[in-house]
Amino acid sequence: MKYRIFIVLFLSSILVLQGCASKEASVNYSNSETEIVSVNDPLEKINRVVFQFNIIFDKLILRPIAVTYKTIVPGFIRNRITYSLDNLGMPITAVNNLLQGELRKAGVSTSRFIINSTVGVLGFFDPAASMGLTSENEDFGQTLSVWGVESGPYLILPFLGPSTPRDFAGMFSTSLLDPMYQVGGGSTSNSLRVYRMGTGAVDFRSQNIEILDDLQNNSIDYYAAVRSFYSQGRESQASNNMEINTHNQENDIFDDFDIDESYVGPDIEIIYD
Amino acid sequence: MIKFKQHCSIVIILFTFVISAHSSEFAQEENFVTNFADEAIEILSDEVIGENEKTSRFTDLVMNAIDLNLVSKFVLAKAWKDSTNEQKEKYLNAFKDYFINSYANKLDQYSGEKVQVVGSEAAGKYVIVESNIVREGTDTLKINLKWRLINRNGDIKIIDLNIEGISLVIAQREEFQSFLANNDNDIEKLIDKIITVSN
Repeated sequence: MKYRIFIVLFLSSILVLQGCASKEASVNYSNSETEIVSVNDPLEKINRVVFQFNIIFDKLILRPIAVTYKTIVPGFIRNRITYSLDNLGMPITAVNNLLQGELRKAGVSTSRFIINSTVGVLGFFDPAASMGLTSENEDFGQTLSVWGVESGPYLILPFLGPSTPRDFAGMFSTSLLDPMYQVGGGSTSNSLRVYRMGTGAVDFRSQNIEILDDLQNNSIDYYAAVRSFYSQGRESQASNNMEINTHNQENDIFDDFDIDESYVGPDIEIIYD
Repeated sequence: MIKFKQHCSIVIILFTFVISAHSSEFAQEENFVTNFADEAIEILSDEVIGENEKTSRFTDLVMNAIDLNLVSKFVLAKAWKDSTNEQKEKYLNAFKDYFINSYANKLDQYSGEKVQVVGSEAAGKYVIVESNIVREGTDTLKINLKWRLINRNGDIKIIDLNIEGISLVIAQREEFQSFLANNDNDIEKLIDKIITVSN
């Protein structure tokens, strides 16, 4: 128990220090670049290889399981599973709320966990939300970003998919910090871990079957599309925490493009086959 | 217990009142989104018309609501300015087919789910209308959807959709930039690729 906290402290201190150093270094290229969205992906070549591997793994194993799950299990039950996974994530969310200095949110997350685990029948229902108690899931990666740690380069992890050094360190520490793994001792926490990892993956995949199929079939560059989705998603979660308005950043991107009104192009006609 | 239920229902009624009573300076834009979503759901849930009719009516609806010309230029970014007029024309046509093929025809996944407008705000020269899509069979599993609109003297067009913090236009733009970077920044190759994917 004790050494776990040391590992986390050690990891975070390295990341925070390195974050401070890299922040200073990165000040001057923000205004000089005309490339508006600068993609931090120096390992693109290796990443693309691992990405291909993950696609094969998905095609052969994860996707078929997700499709079967969605076909066999009725929507009502699938929704219960989503709720229960969400509930199991509440304790770690509460811990991260605290680490981010958000006492009120930590209270909400804790109440949600207590109410939904009892009144909500082991988290299969969400009565807390009807009482106005809603919260976003938080992980240690997001806490690190609140602490000023830069995400670092984009990484594709085998089996686990898109990540960054910060989010990977966060994921690793999350499993060490999670109160759910401290209670009950060996067997309980292990089966919970398996439930969350396995079912969580299938739950996520089954919610995205059509979307990911479409994306894969219609992409000009599937790798780049996924990279953009991942970075944009993480960025918006991070700015929610720091209460930055993402619109401002986005507006800059949209305003920066000087609309060439002089050439409107051919009239776009819709032709159906 | 009964009292508790009464309290709850009062709270819920008050809450719904607060939501429906919210008024905004961008009522025009909010109505645009509501009408668009209603029409889309009406078309998609129509049991009488055939699949082809459904697709063409839906495509019509989307193409009338979006400023595709502006989106096309935006996703190409710097490469748009560096292209010849001939390339621009070829690209616009290719991107239109690609767009219809990959977006306009795919929205039927969202049928049966209701879009609730929850607010709006100014964003530079655009207006952002925020809405939620509630997952079927639940009250609380929501998908957040933000519509970036441009209003030119009452003529409102969609510029971008942002789903849970992910802007589709920015994603498309990054995809094109990545393709160009990996293909000698050759716009012709990009156009060919777009044509291949949409067929």
